[in-house]
Amino acid sequence: MNKLIQNTLTCLALFIALEQAQAFCGFYIAKADAKLFNNKSEVIMVRNGTKNVITMSSDFQGNLKDFAMVVPVPVILKEADIRVVERNIFDMLNDYSAPRMVEYYDTNPCGYDAYLEEDSRNWTLDAVATSKVMTCSDNTSLGVTIEAEYHVDEYDILILSATESEGLKTWLLANGYSIPTKAEEVLEPYIKSNMKFFVVKVNLEKMKNRNFEYLRPLQISFDHKKFMLPLRLGMANSQGSQDMIVYAFTQNGRVECTNYRTVKLPTDRNVPLYVQPKFGDFYKALFERSYLQEGRNAVFLEYAWNVSPFNSMHCDPCVGPPPVHREFVEAGVDWLQGSSAQTIFFTRLHVRYSRDKFPADLQFQETPNNENFQCRYILTRPAYGEFDCEAGQEYLQTLYNRRTREIDEVTALTGWSKEGSDGYLNEYATLMNKQKSIEKKNEILPGLFNSFKSNTTGLLMIFSIIALVSIVLFSQKKFFEKTV
Amino acid sequence: MNGTACQIHQNMAVKKQFEITRWLQSDGRHFQIISQVVFLCYGILALGWDADWRKYLAAFSGCMLAQLFAIRFAGVPSNSLKSALITSLGLSLLLKANSPWLFLFAALFAIGQKFLLKVNGKHLWNPANFGIVLIILLSGEAWISPGQWGSGALLVFIIGTGGLAVLSNIKRLETGVSFILTIFILEFFRTIVYLGWEWDVLFLKLSNGSLWLFALFMITDPMTTPNARSSRIVWSVAVAAVSFYLTNFKFINGAPFWVLFFATPFIPLFDHLIKSPSFHWMNKKSNVSLSK
Repeated sequence: MNKLIQNTLTCLALFIALEQAQAFCGFYIAKADAKLFNNKSEVIMVRNGTKNVITMSSDFQGNLKDFAMVVPVPVILKEADIRVVERNIFDMLNDYSAPRMVEYYDTNPCGYDAYLEEDSRNWTLDAVATSKVMTCSDNTSLGVTIEAEYHVDEYDILILSATESEGLKTWLLANGYSIPTKAEEVLEPYIKSNMKFFVVKVNLEKMKNRNFEYLRPLQISFDHKKFMLPLRLGMANSQGSQDMIVYAFTQNGRVECTNYRTVKLPTDRNVPLYVQPKFGDFYKALFERSYLQEGRNAVFLEYAWNVSPFNSMHCDPCVGPPPVHREFVEAGVDWLQGSSAQTIFFTRLHVRYSRDKFPADLQFQETPNNENFQCRYILTRPAYGEFDCEAGQEYLQTLYNRRTREIDEVTALTGWSKEGSDGYLNEYATLMNKQKSIEKKNEILPGLFNSFKSNTTGLLMIFSIIALVSIVLFSQKKFFEKTV
Repeated sequence: MNGTACQIHQNMAVKKQFEITRWLQSDGRHFQIISQVVFLCYGILALGWDADWRKYLAAFSGCMLAQLFAIRFAGVPSNSLKSALITSLGLSLLLKANSPWLFLFAALFAIGQKFLLKVNGKHLWNPANFGIVLIILLSGEAWISPGQWGSGALLVFIIGTGGLAVLSNIKRLETGVSFILTIFILEFFRTIVYLGWEWDVLFLKLSNGSLWLFALFMITDPMTTPNARSSRIVWSVAVAAVSFYLTNFKFINGAPFWVLFFATPFIPLFDHLIKSPSFHWMNKKSNVSLSK
């Protein structure tokens, strides 16, 4: 009896220690940022009522005289509505909201506290991003009206309206804006929807006066009820899929897509230590797998958080310093007055789109959903020292079971095979005195979880609902029989 | 001897099966409840919705308690709990809110309206529609997600099957079909003929799960639609046309939902113009008046 109490208390102490460790947000060790993905573009969208501010990144690599951008916009923009912003705004937002890896440390229940602190902070992957110009189309035709012409810093901008797509296409081609042949199939619907065309070229003379060769992002503002992202034009010159990362800022809550499903990526998953050096590959595989599982036509949520200046906790843990007032204003947020208690909600959406699965432009809505969300993957480093006490032996069993689940988790998330993971699984098994026992678990349920991507809470709820419905229906059956 | 015992056993099994089938078909709400539970399970398991049991429990308990209150004090029959269950499932499927309390209030609004806002002995609004719209307008912390189902043929098949079962039973197929057909025709002419988009753009719009759910389960609510068949068809077409306009020209998300709410007060006018008996859930055999 005493031994039972002693064991229970030891387990409880261990549990509490682990719980307390889990309550801490974890040490940030790595992030999976946008640069991992080839063929990607980034857009900042700020929405306040019907006011839209859209900032488009431009990672064009090539001869600047070949650069041309065509973006459908719902209104004729004024010169004051167009500005050039610095490129680092995208890097800052990307760093801040990127999926992250964190680590915890187990404590040795036998009382050994010394452990090595590995220098594993702020480690990022090197990846070469080859972005493409967001839209690039050439057309020359009659029926084209130049509604406005502006010169904003290093860009020459035209706002065009057209009466028919052939005319617009001919005009653009004749004026040196090359667009792919397939683009005309979307020009006509845009023209019929009363869209104008924001057409951009680089002013080579002004570029010579600058000290750098890269193109800075363009930001446009306009007032319109439509809250959408015209992707179709960008699909015209692509055979496969492209990635787009949207950083959305709103006053009230999360932004979601209304004509495609918005799905959360898996988060808060425990993964093995060997994932750390290849976190970028892990996240890419996870994203690819989720993308395929959702039918290739979903928009994924990677981050959603209230980043208001007065809100002290912006992330858990934080990958970098939070955006400050000046940076929000740079991104297009215009409802901040001083540092008073206005809300800013930051949503990061990642969509991999292709012509076959995304035939229509993305439509969005702002919701009051203020639930915080971030993609977070957890490493737990085992305790150091000797495990010769009884609690230590039990800890080793727990460690073995946890590592089994971590390996299963990685396979479920990425599709990677378990080959080669035996070493990791059995690393501490040799320290166990008694026969190790595989944790008994139902093999059917994990498969069910994996295939349905749900958690235990969801299943419990399903059963509760079925039970409640059955009770109501069958109790009513008795009533019905009585009244007949 | 064995053959006789086997025969008796088989007869009993067939009889039991017949009884269960007869019971299921006796009330259209049975099919509706089954369909809604299937949709909820599909949404949670296959579509990966956020399944917050506290919100579902709040909706369920709010609806049940309000209905029990009405049964006790307003004299409505106890099988009306089935309607309350349908409302709670409707809230769970459609309403999104930051807090479970909002689900509770939506439930109370939904059920309360049935007894407090009656015209000609019939409650006006579809309870789920009323509860959701009111909580969205009053709280600012609730919303609906038109994109939560996605689009696709499988989705249409699942919702369509459930819808057909319900509507065939309650003889309200024309309401759902008129709505969907009007939307199809208007969207076809705008998307394909006028704008010149491709067929898959149209298919994406028309295979949206929210649209089908609305067409087969919400606008077809027999207790909150005009009594006469011709009125219902006109009503459906009107709601569809206005929804189409608001969606495409005013860019309002979830337009059918809002149109239904604001158009509902016109139903008594339709009933006044063309008179027809009201709908009752329990059919044929019962001699007891069971309107709720």
